[in-house]
Amino acid sequence: MPVSLNYIFKRIILSILVILGVIVFSYLLLMLSPGDPAVKWAGNPRGPGATKAIELAREELGLNKPLYMQIVNFIYNFLTGNLGLSIAYKIPVSQVIVSGFAATLELMLFTYFFSVPLGIWLGIYSAINRGSRIDSFIQSISIILASTPTFWLGSLLLLASNSLTGFFPYGRVSSKLALSTGFTPITGFYLLDSLIQGNIQVFIDVLVRLIPPALTISVYPIGVLARVTRTLVAEALLEDYVRAAVAWGIKRKTIIRQFVLRSIVPPVIQISGLSFVYSLVDAMVVETVVFGREGLGSILIDSLHKADFRVTLALAVYLTAFYIIVNTLVDIVQATIDPRIRL
Amino acid sequence: MRKKIYLMGVFLVIAVAISMILVNIYTRQPTPSLKQRIVVYAYNDKITGIDPSIEDDTGLVVLGSIYETLTYYDYKTGAVKPRLAINWSVDSGGKEWMFQLRRGVKFHDGTPFNATAVKISIERARDIYRETGRGMGYIWDAVEEIEIIDEYTIKFILKYPQRLDLLASGSYAAYIFSPSVIEKANVTSYMDEKLEDWFNSGNAIGTGPYKLISYDPTREIRLEKYDEWWGWKEINNPNAPDIVIIKIVTEPVAQYNGLLSGEIDIASSIPRENVRMLLEKGFKAINLPTYHNFILFFNTKRYPTNIREFRLAIAHALDISRVIRDALLGYGKPASGIIPHEFPGHVEGLTYEYDLAEARNYLNASGVKLPVTINLLYQVDYEETRKFAEIFKSMMAELGIIVELNPQDWARLKDIAKGVWTSPEETPHLVVADWWPTIPSPYDYLYTMLHSDSKEWNFAGFENKAFDELIDSAWILEGEDYAKAMELYEQAQRLVHEDAVVIGLWDEVRPFVYSSRINMPEDALNPLYMFVIRFELVEVRL
Repeated sequence: MPVSLNYIFKRIILSILVILGVIVFSYLLLMLSPGDPAVKWAGNPRGPGATKAIELAREELGLNKPLYMQIVNFIYNFLTGNLGLSIAYKIPVSQVIVSGFAATLELMLFTYFFSVPLGIWLGIYSAINRGSRIDSFIQSISIILASTPTFWLGSLLLLASNSLTGFFPYGRVSSKLALSTGFTPITGFYLLDSLIQGNIQVFIDVLVRLIPPALTISVYPIGVLARVTRTLVAEALLEDYVRAAVAWGIKRKTIIRQFVLRSIVPPVIQISGLSFVYSLVDAMVVETVVFGREGLGSILIDSLHKADFRVTLALAVYLTAFYIIVNTLVDIVQATIDPRIRL
Repeated sequence: MRKKIYLMGVFLVIAVAISMILVNIYTRQPTPSLKQRIVVYAYNDKITGIDPSIEDDTGLVVLGSIYETLTYYDYKTGAVKPRLAINWSVDSGGKEWMFQLRRGVKFHDGTPFNATAVKISIERARDIYRETGRGMGYIWDAVEEIEIIDEYTIKFILKYPQRLDLLASGSYAAYIFSPSVIEKANVTSYMDEKLEDWFNSGNAIGTGPYKLISYDPTREIRLEKYDEWWGWKEINNPNAPDIVIIKIVTEPVAQYNGLLSGEIDIASSIPRENVRMLLEKGFKAINLPTYHNFILFFNTKRYPTNIREFRLAIAHALDISRVIRDALLGYGKPASGIIPHEFPGHVEGLTYEYDLAEARNYLNASGVKLPVTINLLYQVDYEETRKFAEIFKSMMAELGIIVELNPQDWARLKDIAKGVWTSPEETPHLVVADWWPTIPSPYDYLYTMLHSDSKEWNFAGFENKAFDELIDSAWILEGEDYAKAMELYEQAQRLVHEDAVVIGLWDEVRPFVYSSRINMPEDALNPLYMFVIRFELVEVRL
């Protein structure tokens, strides 16, 4: 077994420590910066009772207790699944986060569905044609892609799609269409939900609106994967065992498939995992600012603006956990497919 | 390999072509099932709650369509008009008010509207404020007792005289909800905290023209036409929307894109520079003069803004017309004092003439040595305050005053600004803040922003007993002698003006841009009920 129980145990302990660290650090940062959540919880109170309202709110939120007690309370509430109500919207924190999380994750998964294979393919193709014009072209393109500012590109795509098709891929789904066709979100993944409900009109609508933001976010992983894969393949092609295989007269295709690609799979998976998490930040910006989609981006920005520390902290914890899970999965997959790696 | 590349290229071209055709076909085909009149209204903030007694922020945009108040404030004439109350009378020098209620009105769940509903709605708002300080229930502070005379007559006995007809038209804390909520929410009393959770989890039972059908405060709120609304026969608008979607679109650019795509029918926050472009494309707009104004507060407890002459120097070096032209692109009106134009108690002439020579004279008289550095705290959420800050900085530079900019979001700005009371030396010299009212009374602005007891909102740290007494007396006098009360409010404003404690900057003019398939009369908007659209007056073409 490539993954030992010891590794899993260590990883869990480390993850818990990281999450605890994130909670403590974020909590301190939020509480020490200006912006009083009690004011928001009390509803920006006015009139002669304003001070009293804020004091009561502070008490209710436990903000009158010492900082370490507040942190302990938060951790306890978090572990018992009681995140409370959002300071800004007075609805359960989990409800605020879940809908945004599904929206962002749908966008991310859709993006990676095509960007990972495309990036890898470009890298391989470039490496096996290294030194050629096409190689230079792919290399140049991948540098440009990896360094393109996403919200400039997003705005450009938005304008382009409008001038080409007269359609603005704005939001996640047309509210009017959703209403008139009786579309109801179930899982929060609209592509899946529309398929479950057999609502093809909404499915196409959601798909069409996903493409521009997905293309925008995809430039980074495509660029990075193409560059990394090219380097890995080029290095592998110079390895002795590859040269020996060539000398043995083994077919080029077989060499690439059997020897070269196999050796690059673990690092490519690692890079894909890392860029996935990195792209999450990109997605959070692009979806909100450029494409007017709801998602984690708008929730995070809003929670910071409105001193909604419960939502901010919950998001920080979930995003950290997400990061850890993705990285752990990447390590496990690597160990499973590469017998040299032992975890 | 070349063949493969070629095939791949062909495949890619075909795929792009197919998707473009798909998009074209899809976007051009009429949606056959759209038989209902649907209106999508883009609102620029998420909803902070919909408890009719407690909500005091963005929830107004929803509450205003679902619930009704006893009276309605007509901003064009300043008159109070009947709504759920059809007439009213006042006695005992403004301390006893009798309201006759409209008959035949039903709440959205079928419960009949009557005096009990009025009593519990107003008592709940008042008592929650008394107990916790939450909400805007302070507007009912004077109400000592509410007596039900009969099913459709209700009497208010006040502790001190008040214009109850005006207060009853308030944009917050004046909504009447159904007594059946207690049963529906499974609570024991109207003061039960669980009732607030019940409302905020998406429940509402009002008498308004629209009823709530779905509520997601971070995404969208759906309202449905309430066919049994009493007002339909008076309005006679068969083309009113059947469904209203209040869509949360926080980015102005996204609202603009939404209008162009046809996703949005009415937008409340379009980038000012794009309005003309939209009008040229056939969209229509109502430029609403609002009661939403912007004010510059001086920290009166810190050097050098504690010196009156220094404040006057700044006031005379500030060219508001340039600010309105460059920062607001004309969508604003120069303020006169801190009470907006057309609002009760507004006084003309409370401005400072732009005059650099005069500004220099005041600066010399202040004894402040140049160069001097002051800092300006302003809200980063508004594009106009961001632009104002830059312009202000350059204007003050002409006078030799260096301005350091401190942009913050609202939550942080408020927290920092109120520090003027506890740590004035660490609090910025200048703060730009904004306000819109709850009730049509000057007291709303003057108490909140300048009374020495209002330590949460008086960002100037202004303490003046004469001012406090003037406005407190005027507030009580409103119920007895309204004209005299207005005189006192004017005196109070002149006092502040002479002292240059605050500078009224501009009253916002907000463009509501809407699609040509909509007909929206001007009366559909009212600055007292900011962002509320009276959809019952809106006509939609199918």
